[in-house]
Amino acid sequence: MQILIYGTINSVALALFALGFALVYGVSRLPNFAHGALYVLGGFITWTFVNSLGLNYLVSIILALVANGIIGALIYQFVLIRIRGMEISEIIASYAMGLAILEGLRWGGFKGMTYMLPAFIEGSTEIAGVPVDYQRLLVVGIGAAVVTILWLFTHYTRVGLALRGVAQDERAAMMLGIDSDRMALAAMGFGSMLAAMAAIVLLPLGSIVVEAGYNVLILAIAVCIVGGLGSWMGAVLAAFIIGFAQILTVVYLGAHYQMVVALSAIIITLILRPSGLFGRQKELEERV
Amino acid sequence: MLEANGLMVFYENMLALNNVSIRCDENQIVGVFGANSAGKSTLMYTLSGIIEDIRKKEEMAGGERISVLGNITYLGNEIMGLKPSKRAKNGIVLCPERRRIFKECNVLENLRIGGYLATPAQAKDTLEYVFKVFPALEKLQKRIGGFLSGGEQQMLAIGRALMAQPKLLLLDEPLLGLSPLMQVVLVRATKEIRDEKGVSIIITEQYARPVLPIVDYAFILENGAAVLEGTRDELMNNPDVRSAYFGI
Repeated sequence: MQILIYGTINSVALALFALGFALVYGVSRLPNFAHGALYVLGGFITWTFVNSLGLNYLVSIILALVANGIIGALIYQFVLIRIRGMEISEIIASYAMGLAILEGLRWGGFKGMTYMLPAFIEGSTEIAGVPVDYQRLLVVGIGAAVVTILWLFTHYTRVGLALRGVAQDERAAMMLGIDSDRMALAAMGFGSMLAAMAAIVLLPLGSIVVEAGYNVLILAIAVCIVGGLGSWMGAVLAAFIIGFAQILTVVYLGAHYQMVVALSAIIITLILRPSGLFGRQKELEERV
Repeated sequence: MLEANGLMVFYENMLALNNVSIRCDENQIVGVFGANSAGKSTLMYTLSGIIEDIRKKEEMAGGERISVLGNITYLGNEIMGLKPSKRAKNGIVLCPERRRIFKECNVLENLRIGGYLATPAQAKDTLEYVFKVFPALEKLQKRIGGFLSGGEQQMLAIGRALMAQPKLLLLDEPLLGLSPLMQVVLVRATKEIRDEKGVSIIITEQYARPVLPIVDYAFILENGAAVLEGTRDELMNNPDVRSAYFGI
């Protein structure tokens, strides 16, 4: 029972990490290696709004989401757009942006274990004899809500449908009047907002540390590779596979093997099914 | 409506279009015929602006150097160099070769993505119109695009292009690989769209015969150059053309 409950919570957390990354990659084939940094940045922005500016918690959260979205969009507009289509450069440049953000935060004095976000609701309850605090339940609730909203957004709204169009065939979308650069910008904005969302929900469980950025990036990439790069449903499913695998290793092998799970999942996937569970390598267009 | 003068497209040193000038008047169906590698798709990419995107991406990746020369006047404005999405906004919509429908979306979603530029009212009307022209699609609304047959995909591709509210529709080899029966359906639909919606259409094909009855004016491309042009009857009566392109 404990495994079931904590496995679910861990899986939803992983899904929250990965969705932003999957969204950006799905739409613009851009591996956003600054994702982990944007996650941590979202946490610190919220912390700053709450503690330094003394704003209401809810207001701070909304402002932080918007601010993070804008920062992501700016990174795209001023850095990444110049190297679109060159995969190695995309990785290097986005990783460099991530490093700059993370180490910049460290340099700016955000280090140590002293930075905490308050939980939304204090206290805990018991489910079938297993103690669970409310914040963890909230993670599951918000995770489910984010997945649902994302699904509705990409299936029923004009911009959401256009994003899916660009993800499948960028040029075909252009022919229909969809500006793919603007869509990639929007995807990066939404992706950064999702990173901040994950940070705001998950960080009250611990403290905000710069190092988390690197772990979140690795976890997000692991989830996306197992699920198939660019597939949003695949990412959710893979989050559950890796999430439960992690909890099982923690219970049966020990906590320090947790990170090994994610990395070996990458290796196993690349050996057995390189395109992931739901991914597809673009087949060569047949000439007629 | 659209007039292109002296179009030259180079892929590195290879000349893909050589001084091609074509025009399409209001409410006309213009045919562009030619064999493989005659430059039909390059012409369509040049008119719709996709070539600009290809050029930009190649340049960024350090690949082929693509140069595009000449000018294109559309509704009195020069549109050379304009982004494809801008041109689509102005009403030039390309329905590409090999259809390129969104394979993971169902038929209705494909059409709604096509309706990105349309207002909700326009989208609703056009959707009804698409189902009227292609009744087969109405029953397939929930079918995933990748599972459609070639003919259904082509109908969907044309329907999707219509959703973008074109004034000038570019159809690049719409009959490619389809059965004669399906070809008849599509040719009839093309004429219907022109007659009822008042959309001008430029249509390319390798094999002119199925399309010729609905074409008002046609150009023949050979090795990137427009070697011949004329009204339907003029071309029909030209013996060289008859044997080479019409198979009569």
